[in-house]
Amino acid sequence: MKLIQMTKPSSFSEISTKKIIQMNDVWTSYDSKDYTLKGINLSIDRGTNYAIVGKSGSGKSTLLKLMNGMMIPSKGIIKVDYQTPNMKNKKFKVMMHKIGYIPQSLGLIKNITVLENILVGALPRLGTVQSLFKIFPEDEIQEAKKILKLVGLSGKEDRKAYMLSGGEKRRVAIARAFMQKPTILLADEIVSELDHVTAREIMNLIADAQKRMNLTAIMVHHDMQLALEYANRVAVIKDGEKILEIGVEGDKIVDFQTGNLSTQEIMELYSDEPKK
Amino acid sequence: MNQKNNLIVGIIIALLVAASINVDANPLEFIEGLPNLGIVAEEMTEVEPKLFETALWSMFETIQMAFIGTVVGVAISLPLSMLAARNLNSKYVYGPVRAILAAIRTFPSILWAILFVIMVGLGPFAGVLALIMYTVGFVAKLQYEAIEAIDSDPMDAVGSIGVSKWQLIRYVVLPESAPHLLGQMLYMFDYNVRQSSILGLVGAGGIGFYIINYIKFFEYGKVAIFMVVVLATVLIIDWVSVKIRDKYIIKSQHGMEVSAK
Repeated sequence: MKLIQMTKPSSFSEISTKKIIQMNDVWTSYDSKDYTLKGINLSIDRGTNYAIVGKSGSGKSTLLKLMNGMMIPSKGIIKVDYQTPNMKNKKFKVMMHKIGYIPQSLGLIKNITVLENILVGALPRLGTVQSLFKIFPEDEIQEAKKILKLVGLSGKEDRKAYMLSGGEKRRVAIARAFMQKPTILLADEIVSELDHVTAREIMNLIADAQKRMNLTAIMVHHDMQLALEYANRVAVIKDGEKILEIGVEGDKIVDFQTGNLSTQEIMELYSDEPKK
Repeated sequence: MNQKNNLIVGIIIALLVAASINVDANPLEFIEGLPNLGIVAEEMTEVEPKLFETALWSMFETIQMAFIGTVVGVAISLPLSMLAARNLNSKYVYGPVRAILAAIRTFPSILWAILFVIMVGLGPFAGVLALIMYTVGFVAKLQYEAIEAIDSDPMDAVGSIGVSKWQLIRYVVLPESAPHLLGQMLYMFDYNVRQSSILGLVGAGGIGFYIINYIKFFEYGKVAIFMVVVLATVLIIDWVSVKIRDKYIIKSQHGMEVSAK
């Protein structure tokens, strides 16, 4: 057994486990004239906390939807764990079970309870008859309650989702994604409408889980400050193009896109951009 | 612009006059006929209180007919509406289902009643069947429109987990369209109560059977008793549905805070 492993080139196993998302010259368009994304190249390592920053309309949300197959590119190649994302593809659907996606609007079902909203994340593990009659196994319910406690919503499990505050709704959406036992978490500007303190509470929640579950978290942000605070890598999208990919190493901001820019230059480049 | 408007108004008036002549609609006859209404009204005041009990019992029968018609009709229309919703099915599924529903709606309930009287004979059962058919055609349409109007965000978010279509229907479509369904049920029940008063016309049971027979024999005093009972019932149903709407529908649709202070 050991011998076989040793005969494998070490670089192969490294490649096959390290990269979880790869995009190569990806273009998308809603109509055939205008491109939302223009030649995006991305490579995301497993277990990283990755941020995508840009103004509204820059194509950040589109980028997330490409990763879970809700959209397919007009040109270019995308691989998520070596599969091409497409939600209509049965094989990829199995992978979607493990991709938590939180849209900006959160997508909660407002007329059912908090606990039921969370249990929705367990649906792929449930048989048809069980799920039609809402018969969740005891261990799934216990798991949901555990997650409920983790996100700080204990005692609110029987509230209807529409009764919650903005911060609480986000916690439910995060809990639903955790319930999927995800390997990838995609979150689209879920803290941008929150106040400073609540936003950081939510971000800490995700950061903790990300480390503990070795999750690859890919979060879209409006706020560069917040992105640099939490993410290992930050991609800056402008008018559908990735203009910068940076990360914090020690007290330096490193340019990973070209490797040419110094911390000072990056800071100057970014200070031209209006903060909000 | 003003001239154009005047022209349109002129054309509408001309068409109105022409159509009235064609169908013999003479306003003068209406005015001349007004005293006749007085006679009916006067006769209506000669009520026969003895009939009150009969009126109540026949109203009770009507309500039961409307109840069965509404519940069974809605139960049948629910799966049909799922099949007819464009956001859940391909056109090869929703196309034929919509065509069938349109065909069902084409017939007013009175025609269904005649058909069912021929099939199962005179009596309330024919009326019930007619109400079911009408409810199916109508509620299924309202419901598939409600399903198509569901917020696409939860559909996308839950759909992105890779759940099956059945699970999507059970956990998103049903709960999100439920407030509409409740509203439609109330509306349909109200409609069916009023409708089943007419179904008596063709012998399909209920309070309408009495009303139509007393009218035939010009016994307006007896008719009056039955009309009062219908009116009272409709008002009560209206009041109850307003209460139910306030409690369950308005709040969930607007996301009002209902927790205790």
